[in-house]
Parts: sequence; C-alpha cells; structure tokens
Amino acid sequence: MSGLHSLRGTSLPSQPQSPASRHLGSARLTRRHPTPTSSSVLDRYGPSVLFAIALLAGTLLRLWQLNRFGVNSDEAVYLGQAAALAHEPTLSRLFPLFRAHPLLFPFFVALALPFTGREALDLAGRLLAVGFGLATIVVTMAIGRLLFGRWVGATAALFLALMPYHVTVSRQALLDGPMAFWVTLTLLALVRFAATQRTSWLVASAVALGLGVLTKETAVIFFGAIVTTFALHPELSGRPRPLLVALGAFIATVTVHPLATFLAGGSGTERTSQYLVWQLFRRPNHEWWFYAWTIPPALGLAVVALAVLGIILVWKVWSWRETLLVAWIVVPFTFFQVWPTKGFPYLVATTPAIALLAARTLGRLFALGSARSGSVLPTRSNWRRGIALVTVIAVAGSLAVPSIAQLRAVTNGTFLAGSGGVPGGREAGEWVRTHTPEGTKLLTIGPSMANIIQFYGHRKAYGLSVSPNPLHRNPTYEPVVNPDLWLRNGEIQYVVWDAYSAARSPFFAEKLLTYARRYHGRVVHTELVRTVDTQGRPTDLPVIVIYEVRP
Amino acid sequence: MKLVRPLLTLFLFASFWLPLQPVHAARPEPNTPIRHFIVLMQENHTFDNYFGTYPGADGIPPDTCMPVDPTDPASECVEPFHIGNLPIEDLDHSVVTFRRQFNGGRMNGFIWALRLRNHDGRIAMGYYDGRDLPYYWNLASEYVLFDRFFSSAHGGSVWNHMYWIAAVPGTEKNSIPAEGFSNDIVTIFDRLNEAGLTWKFYIQNYDPSITYRTRTEVVGPRAAQVVWCPLLAIPRYLDNPELFRHIVPLDEYFTDLQNGTLPNVAYIVPSGASEHPPGSIQAGQRFVRSLIQALMRSPYWWNSAFLVTYDDWGGWYDHVPPPQVDEYGYGFRVPAFLVSPYAKRGFIDSTIYDFTSILKFIEENWGLEPLAERDARATSIRNAFDFTQPPRQPAFIPWDWPPPPPTPEPRRSAVFGLYGLTVALALLTFLIPARRIHFLRRSLSSRRSRPSTPTHRGEGKR
Repeated sequence: MSGLHSLRGTSLPSQPQSPASRHLGSARLTRRHPTPTSSSVLDRYGPSVLFAIALLAGTLLRLWQLNRFGVNSDEAVYLGQAAALAHEPTLSRLFPLFRAHPLLFPFFVALALPFTGREALDLAGRLLAVGFGLATIVVTMAIGRLLFGRWVGATAALFLALMPYHVTVSRQALLDGPMAFWVTLTLLALVRFAATQRTSWLVASAVALGLGVLTKETAVIFFGAIVTTFALHPELSGRPRPLLVALGAFIATVTVHPLATFLAGGSGTERTSQYLVWQLFRRPNHEWWFYAWTIPPALGLAVVALAVLGIILVWKVWSWRETLLVAWIVVPFTFFQVWPTKGFPYLVATTPAIALLAARTLGRLFALGSARSGSVLPTRSNWRRGIALVTVIAVAGSLAVPSIAQLRAVTNGTFLAGSGGVPGGREAGEWVRTHTPEGTKLLTIGPSMANIIQFYGHRKAYGLSVSPNPLHRNPTYEPVVNPDLWLRNGEIQYVVWDAYSAARSPFFAEKLLTYARRYHGRVVHTELVRTVDTQGRPTDLPVIVIYEVRP
Repeated sequence: MKLVRPLLTLFLFASFWLPLQPVHAARPEPNTPIRHFIVLMQENHTFDNYFGTYPGADGIPPDTCMPVDPTDPASECVEPFHIGNLPIEDLDHSVVTFRRQFNGGRMNGFIWALRLRNHDGRIAMGYYDGRDLPYYWNLASEYVLFDRFFSSAHGGSVWNHMYWIAAVPGTEKNSIPAEGFSNDIVTIFDRLNEAGLTWKFYIQNYDPSITYRTRTEVVGPRAAQVVWCPLLAIPRYLDNPELFRHIVPLDEYFTDLQNGTLPNVAYIVPSGASEHPPGSIQAGQRFVRSLIQALMRSPYWWNSAFLVTYDDWGGWYDHVPPPQVDEYGYGFRVPAFLVSPYAKRGFIDSTIYDFTSILKFIEENWGLEPLAERDARATSIRNAFDFTQPPRQPAFIPWDWPPPPPTPEPRRSAVFGLYGLTVALALLTFLIPARRIHFLRRSLSSRRSRPSTPTHRGEGKR
C-alpha cells in the first residue's frame, strides 16, 4: 500500500494512522463529508492535460536554442571537471578534477562524455541539466498531488515549467538545477514519510538530500528546513530511532565525497579545505539586497504574490504542509542572505515550494480540484472555478512571456553570472583554438573569461584580477603575480578584453588595455554581438577583443 | 591578302605596347616547401658551453680535465663545471687565442691561452645546461640541434659574419677595413636580387647613421652594428639606395610578419640581446623566443625555417677539433638549431656544417650560383629537414627545464566507483518504499510465510 493511496483515503483499516495523515485529513474528510458530485470531463482529465501542457511547455522552453550561446564560466568549470573525471586529455590539463564542489553532476556528464565527445560536451551538460529540470517539474507535480490534490499539483508543475528563474537555471550546466531536483525529491519522500510514517521513506528522503549535497554542498541547508519543520510539528518526527537511521543514511551518503577525494588522491585534493576557508572569508560579491531585487521578478511577481496571499488568506488551515513548504523557502533564503557569497542560481531549489504555495492558493481560493471525489476541499461554484482557470492561464502567461523574452534577449554587454550563456564566448574560444599555437598563454580581465577561453580554446588563460593574496582568491586560480614581467618575457602572447568582465571590473579592464598598448597590442580578433542602441537601432557591439602582444 | 592588314596592325601595336609594360622577372620557385628562410646570428659561445651536457649530443667527454698549462706535464687540470650564476667575462677570442687553444689539434690550451691574455682561464671550462638555457634545450628537443656546426673562421666576429653573407673572410685582418670591404665581394643578397627574390637584413636597435664611415666617431658599443651587419661596411650597399633600403630595424620583422611582407630570406642580428659575454643569456633566450613566437603566430610558419647560430666561440672550451679546410678555418663548434614545420623532431644532426652551409641551403633552395669556393664545397643543412612529412603545427616551446614532473593523477576509478555505488544504492532506497522491487517483496513475503520453527522429519511422524 503506497503512501499516495493512504493520502487519498483508501488505506486499509488495519494500517495504523499516522499523526501527519490525521493532519492531512484527506481520508478522514472524504469519509466524514462525502460530497458525491458528478465528475466532469474537466475534473477528470483537466489536471492530466494541464500537466501535459506543463511538461510540453517546460520542455520547449528549456530546449529552445539551448546551445545558441557558449557556456558561461561556472558551466565551463563543471564541464571541465567532468572532462577531467573522464580523463579527456586536453581539458583535464586545464581543469582540475577536485575543486570547491562535490562531483555528482560532473560524474553524470563524465558518463556521457564517451558518447558525446569533447566537441558536444557543452550541449551534453546542458541537456542533462534540462533533464534534471524536467524531472523536478514531475516531482513537483507529485508533491502537489499528494499535498493538495491533482489540480494543485498540475498547476504547480505548470508554474514551475514556465517560471523564468527555473527555466534560466535549468538550461545551464550548473549544479543548482540538479541540486534542486534532489532537494525536491527529498521533499517528496518527506511528504510520503509524513503520510505513512514509514521509516523507509524517511531514509529515502535522507539519501535524496545526501545526493543533493553530493551535487552541491549547499543542499545541506535544507536539512535545516527539515529540522525546523520537525521542531514545529513534533507529531511528524515520531520515534527517535527512524530519525537516527535516516541521519545515518544521510551522513553515509554525504561522506562519499570526502572518501572519494581521499581515495582518489592526486593533485588538487589538498585544496579542498582551502575552499571552505575562502568561501567563509571572501568578500561579498553582491549587495545585501541582491536576492530581494533579483529573484522575485525571476520567480514571477504573480506567483510570489499568490504564494504570499495564500499564506495570509488561508492561514486558518495551516498545517505541517505549509510549515514544510515555507521552511523550504525561508531557511535557504535566510542562509544565503547572511552568507557573503550570493549567486543568482543559488535559490532555485526553493522554486518548487514557491510554485506549490502559489498553486495551493488558487486551489484554496477557487476550489480547484474540489469536485473530484476524495478531494480535500469543499465544492465551489462553477464560476469560481472558471475564475481559477482564468487566473491560472493569466499567471502562466505572466511567466511565459518573460521566459520567452529572456531567451530572445540580446546582450547589452553586461552579464549576470549564472543567468545564461555568454554571447561570443564560444566563438572567441574557438578562434583561439584554431588560430594560436599550442602552448599559447592568454591574459583575461578576470577568471570568468579565462575559464571560457580555456574550455573552448584549449589554451591556458590567466585572470588579471585574480589576487596574489591567497586569502582573496579562489584556491583553484593561479594569480599572475607580475603581469608586466610575464608580458615582457613573452610568457603571455595574447590579452583578451571582454565587455562583461569590463563592466564588473573597470579597473582591471583598463589595466589590461594598458598592457595591450604597452606591448605592441594588435587586435587580431573581435567578437561582435548584434544588439540595439539607446535609440533602438541595430548595432554591432564588440563584446570580446583579442590582442596579440609581444615584448 | 585580306588578313595582311589586320595582322600588320596587330604586329605594330604589339611592338609598341609590349615594351612599355613593366618587366616582372619570374621569381624562381623554391626546390623545397621552404619559401622563407630566416637566420639569426647570436654571439660568442661554443657547443660544449651551451649543449655540452645535452642528452644524446656530442658533448663534453666524461673524463675531461683541461691542463692549466699544457706545456707543463705536471700542471694541474680543471674539470668542466656548471657556471650557473657565477660571474663571467668577455674572454679573449682573437686568432692568436684560437691557435693556442687549438694547439695543433690537441685541444688542450683553453685555459693556458686565456691566462696568457691575463684572464683567469678556468672560466672557459664552465658550461651551461638546461637549467640556464631552458628555452634552447626545449627547442633542441623539439626540433633540430646541430652538434657539428663549426664557425667558419678562426677569428672573431668580422670574418665569421663575412663568411655568413659572402662565404669569404673579406679581409686578411679580422677587422673592418677603414675604407670598407671591397665592392667586388659578392654577397648572397646580390644573388637574391639577381633572381628577383626578396631579402632584408634586420638589425635590433638599428641606427642607419652608423656605418663603416662613421663608426669610429660613435662612442660605445653601438658601433658594433657594422660588424654584425657587414653590409654596412660595403660601400655600394650604402651608396645605392635600392640596396640600402633592405637594411632595416628589427621592428619591421614583426610588422612584415603581420602585414604579409616577410621576404624570402631574412638575416637578423641582435644588439643588446646577443648573449655576448658577459651579457645575459636569459635575455638572449627571450629575444630569440620573441622572434620564433612571432613567426609561429603568423601564416608564414607553414613554409618557413628559422636557424639560430653564434658567430664565434667566444674563448669557451669545446672538445671537438675543427677540421682545417683552409687558412681561415674552420673555427671551433658553435651552437646552432633549426626551427621549422619541416624540421625533424628532436633530431641531432651531426653532419659537418659551417656558416656557408646556410648559404648553400639558400642557393640550393632557389637555384642560385655559389658565391665562392667555401659555399660551393659546403654541405647544405637540408639533412635537418624532412619534407616528406606534413608541416608540423606551431607549438610554443615551454621555458621549464627539466620539464616539471607530471602532477600525480587522481585515481578516477575511486570517484566513479563510489559515486556510482551511491547512486545505485539511492535508487534502491527509493524503490524499496515505493514497492517497485516486486521480486524483493515476494522474496520477503515468502520468507515470512515459512513456519517460524523448523520441522524435522521425525517431529512430523511423532
């Protein structure tokens, strides 16, 4: 007997009733308040159709021109790690296997590498990320169906499928999208545990969270969300023994990475602890309001509004479900608000919970799914359900439009890390690979473009802005302690200016151009991106300029 | 008859029009894929001084110990030693010193000859190795190193530079004549001009006002550019603007590479980066690297050859007695290496060469007449090439010697094994509560259904 059945009230009488399922109340309510209504076609097939639309739209949005732009710096690093794991000869010289994060995502990409080859590595990585993104939509649907019914599940899936934030992140070969999948799977198993009180689901939840940590260690924050929920709803946690078993399973899972690092040995493993120190003490990379300013529009203001509205308006039916979902959002948000390093994709694992809360609001207010036999909610009139559908369509539209616009957007020469591919980066790298001798060394403004050049260009590149002070740099990056000397000695043969790094680091951009002028810099390649000027006229914007230099 | 008038008209037109057209002498096609030959002349080192310990080359014999005074059988001797950062000086490298060091072919006067010139001659036994010359050693390991490349003359720079361009010493004294070299000396550049081939003589820090006519008025070492570029001591090269314009500053080498105007033959001489003791050999390496890197970055790489050599031995020890082909030479061995997409990989060429071998290659490559007896008898450096192979991709040569040890490779199997096992176990963890493993469930249920206490045959009967 699955937990899903028990939530729908078809559990066997002999099965002990869990405290959580009493709160869920689906079985009880159905039996106490049987409201036999005629099951319309809409109610019968609507959620399935909506979910199918969500999957279809989600797939299209994630695959449309997926590889149009080359990878960004973080993608280059993770895919480079995958290549290093697969022992791809060229890239494994440029990208160390062990860096800041665990290796579950590179592990999957490395498995695909023999089939895709080095040339299609970027596409393979992104397709894998898309796969994780679509799987997250499916899991979100399953959670919503368990917690609030099929309509809410399908609606949440639709919101997530169209959400600009999730679309953007799950199109990139980053760790955050796959991590979001494991974390959402954790949530699903946790809900099932709450419904069934079966230890095996709690263990599954712990292992899923462990896989999340093996994808990106920040997934451990969601352990805090679980603890918070259990603390506020002691009836969920039950006896201590299952908790201890689950904790053991979690620890055993996450121990895999340090164990693999220890057993693998080799160069780079000694840096593992340095990353932690660096992450703890590095300077903030964004202002404190970064998330508040950046994330809500990416989530969709309508979705955020619906989620907040639902918490306020239907607080009377607050249960562990709402606590869990809210904790799934608030705990990571609070953590990253305090954590000095802020990245655009870091909060993507909270998006399923936000979509679920928003969909729940519609379900509550407009009785979506109420007509279905076994529904949690009382029946509402048809006009309210009509409004609900219109609202769903409107919200979906409000998500789809910016998502599509975002995919069609042209660069203005600036770039937010983690927000997509880098226009011109792949082309510049390929120019480097085909036009420069083996053994060429390049100097870029910062390490981001250096990573891209290394990934596509297969040449060593150094970031001018990498600090010689080990406390102020990523332990992986090699600083150029005396760039003037290196250039004068002919150690560096090309310098690469790019508009994206220049917008972030004007000082080092100017410094780089000074070197280009000083060492007979000659423009040998320029990447132009077609954009529009302030008056709306199409114009070609130079985004990457490569200078040949000599002593 | 009707055709006579038009044919006559055509003939008249052709006879007037064709002579007015500029005459383009057809450039001879090279006999090899090498369409551009570049040669750089550095200064004052022997083969043993630079490559005496290079693996596989004819370097310093293991039991070498140079007597301080070869005339005294009881004289102490000095073994070769690594110079490293020891201070060095400009050792005497005159004709007299050569003869004493050569000592009738006994090759045992290297210290003695210098002591007679008030040097502490022991430094002559010093050598450099890959730690000091990482770029050159790496070049040698990737391309061609010549270990039988002799300087053309016993003397120093003047004779050897003249042999380099004209296959003759130019003067009986190893110095530039006050009236300049004879205009009758035929140089390789004359041959190139005659054949319609292009050439340039690039000079680092070139000052066109310094020639044999003005060099005595110039204070400091810059007057030496007349020695490095003997064309500046041949009157007709100075007086004929058509010839003089071929002598250019080194910056033009880089712009020629960039602009597609590299000549067929390019001679290069340094100024400050010549490695002439006590100058910095690292500066010389960087200078050479900048020239070779520029070539590798240009499209000319694919049909070029770049040869680096040294004008004389500079007073340093070398263990191979030079063959004496005439009254001027050969002198001691000098370092030389060839970089080209067609150069044999990691090849040590032990063919006997001298500077006129360079001329011989140019002459053979473009079908030119020899300049003198020396180059006519010389062996071309063609043996260093392999024209049957496709041109090699350009590759910048690293600076590290010995090459840094490879970083220990991680045991990737540990990562694959542990992560793979974890994913597999995680899958099972989800399948168990989801009851997807029916066989497991059946197995478990059948086990549960068995009697808890075993039944023995005997018990049943009872």
